[in-house]
Amino acid sequence: MHVDALGEISHDPLAKAGAIMLVVITSLALFAPLFSNYSPHDYTGNIFSPPDRDHLLGTDSMGQDIWTRLLYGARTSLLVAGAVALISSSLSLLIGASAALVGGLYERLCMRIIDALISLPTIIVMILVAAYLRPSLPLLILLISLFSWPGGARIIRSQVLSLKQRMHINASRTFGAGKGHIISKHIIPDLSPIICALMMQDARKAVFMEAGLAFLGVSDPTVISWGKMMNQALAFTYLDVWQWWLVPIGLALSATLIGISFLSFSLETAIDPRLRRDESIEGSMSVARRA
Amino acid sequence: MTLSIRNLKLSFGKTEILRGIDLDLEMGDCLALVGESGAGKTTLGLSVMGLSRGSASGEICFKKRSLFGISEEEFRELRGREMAMVFQNVEDALDPVQRIADQIAEAIAVHRSISASDASRLAVRHLSNVGLNKEKARMYPHQLSGGEKQRALIAMALVNDPDLLILDEPTASLDALTKADIIELLRSAVVGRMCMVITHDLSLAASLAERMAVLYAGRIMEMGRTEEILKGPRHPYTRGLIRSYPAMNATKDLQGILGQMVHGLNGCPFHQRCTQRIDICSLEVPKQTEKEGRIIACHRGGIVPLLEIKGLGLTLDCYPVLCDLDISLREGETLALVGESGSGKTSLSKAIMGLYEPDRGAVILERRRVEKRDSAFYSRVQMIFQNPRESVSHRMNVLNAVIEPLLVQKKGSSEERLERAKKVLSMVELPVDDDFLKRYPHQLSGGEVQRVAIARALALGPKLLIADEPTSALDPSVQAKILKLLMNLQDKMGLAILFITHDIALARKISDRMAVMQSGRIVEEGATNEILACPSHPYTRRLVDCASGRYDGGNGDIILDRDVAELIAKPGDQSALEKYC
Repeated sequence: MHVDALGEISHDPLAKAGAIMLVVITSLALFAPLFSNYSPHDYTGNIFSPPDRDHLLGTDSMGQDIWTRLLYGARTSLLVAGAVALISSSLSLLIGASAALVGGLYERLCMRIIDALISLPTIIVMILVAAYLRPSLPLLILLISLFSWPGGARIIRSQVLSLKQRMHINASRTFGAGKGHIISKHIIPDLSPIICALMMQDARKAVFMEAGLAFLGVSDPTVISWGKMMNQALAFTYLDVWQWWLVPIGLALSATLIGISFLSFSLETAIDPRLRRDESIEGSMSVARRA
Repeated sequence: MTLSIRNLKLSFGKTEILRGIDLDLEMGDCLALVGESGAGKTTLGLSVMGLSRGSASGEICFKKRSLFGISEEEFRELRGREMAMVFQNVEDALDPVQRIADQIAEAIAVHRSISASDASRLAVRHLSNVGLNKEKARMYPHQLSGGEKQRALIAMALVNDPDLLILDEPTASLDALTKADIIELLRSAVVGRMCMVITHDLSLAASLAERMAVLYAGRIMEMGRTEEILKGPRHPYTRGLIRSYPAMNATKDLQGILGQMVHGLNGCPFHQRCTQRIDICSLEVPKQTEKEGRIIACHRGGIVPLLEIKGLGLTLDCYPVLCDLDISLREGETLALVGESGSGKTSLSKAIMGLYEPDRGAVILERRRVEKRDSAFYSRVQMIFQNPRESVSHRMNVLNAVIEPLLVQKKGSSEERLERAKKVLSMVELPVDDDFLKRYPHQLSGGEVQRVAIARALALGPKLLIADEPTSALDPSVQAKILKLLMNLQDKMGLAILFITHDIALARKISDRMAVMQSGRIVEEGATNEILACPSHPYTRRLVDCASGRYDGGNGDIILDRDVAELIAKPGDQSALEKYC
């Protein structure tokens, strides 16, 4: 790829905002022990203590430090987001692209499986499966991935089908290019913005899904999760504690989702040169000047 | 055999002007010698007359008598009486201080014992035969117009009723009307004689001579019947001459032959300018070979057939798209494939390129049947697509797009590829600086992207270019530039172009031949100018009428599409034909 995507997006304010948000959240999560003196599982004494010097966001009903738990909860969200994005988009690409390229019975089979998966009520199935299999983080990741790849695979298949007929791919065939060249030089690069968008979308969905499932009680009991924390906080809305318990978690969740969205939007623009409007006008003008 | 020339060679100093001419003329024959100036046409005429200086070898037999080795005295006896020449430059050929009639009388008196008054009477009669009256006969050359002087010269050549008449550019510098008169006069003058017309004017050659010899750098390249040569030249040089001649019935834009004539080359004299040369061309002089009454001197047997398609059939989704198609395309030729959309033009191009697999039929490239489309095939045949913005990947900059074919075929090192990319880009008149090479298609104008696409198609050095509506996405001025570019490339590289278009007006300007396609069949094929002048198939007629704005909406003598389809589906059904024709 000769489009310098990173170089491109470093000039985009939207991408900057998104990236800064994600970087801040990621580094807070990664270096959580540096930003907090407590362990997330420690009981620090008083319960429901308001924010002060020792406890930035106070403590919860068990006397645990909310700030610390917020930091460690981000780890879970980001881990789920990253893993699901990778697994789910890989599945989408593999099955969607191979269905389009191979065709025939294989394609029909794949598409019917996808239809079946899409028509299942995701949340209920997940709750049932997770409850039956004893929820754990890897299982959650797998489950979320399993339910988010079919949509992507459909998109990829339709894209590959249309790409196959594109003139520049036909042109490449008229140079004598084989399947390998066409897949690696044309189809994959042409799919990359869609793959990026898919990954971002999967990540965003995964963050949301994980929080939601945890909120509903489907989560690994040993794992700290924003959803679970919100569920706990909701039990105490009659106290003032929700201001520093519920709100910061909601804000953190929103910030993560918005950060991913911003970045995905900007990355898509950078990777697809046709979306770069300003530069194209500038480019054609300079050509006109030269002519 | 009344005049026979065998292996005539003539050189001035070290320069060989004639390099082995073989000619035969019988009584009543008229032969046109055509070629560029400097080809040796006049020299040949002069050597037959015994007037050329320079050292000659070979043999010229005139009435069974060798003209080599006879004395100047004997030659003088022949000249004027047995053989006469009308010289090229009318201004210089007449003596400015003598009256016309006196000059003619002198020509008579030299060869006959005749009294002066009889000679001058005879002269006046001869002048009136060529259309100059008594008053004109008494005038001095400067008082006559160019046409009249030409008439006087013709009269002078004819006074002694020579058996061999050599006309050197008899109508050069005459206006069209005078030229027509002179041609009329010459037509009657050449009857019953041997005649050589030296000219570069093909229309003159066509109207006077039954046979034609094309001369290049002192050799005969092609010889045969005039009409046949003009209609279907077989030697690349002849074709070049015809393409550069502005004939009234020509529709294709003029195309010159690149380069200049050089005398004294080894091998075929034309090989430097020839687009289909092979190694042997620069080493050996090609022999003259005769085939179907046509003599051609070419190592490759004349213009080579490049692509032949025989009985090609294609079915897509159970629907027959192409049925038993036959087309042929020769080196350096443009065949326009016209027809409405849906007639199968693009499918045909894709079937040739192997993007569709034809059900039956053969694609024959350079006399070899194409079994499998491998890299060798793709480096001979390339395609330009309709919309350049789609056919050039928007993810590739100019350089990457142009070197893609080279990468695919793993040709050369990366430096060589860059070199080649720059070369083809400059061939299509695009800049080759780094800034341009790094541009993406969306940063270029439509015309520029199409040029990039053409450059990319040229990167592998193909001989056949399939152009599928290459200009339909461009505005007329850019279209004109692209078409000029394609024609120039044709001149330079001898590209054969299969030009697919629905625009007959466009096809008219760029194609040598035209094939009209309807519902997957070729309904008419032939020289573009002939098809346009008198289309024989109703569908072609309709296309031509529509293109020239004579279409009356189908409610009259012009046949509706559906009906034409009906006619074709049921060729035996005469009632349908009668209904609409």
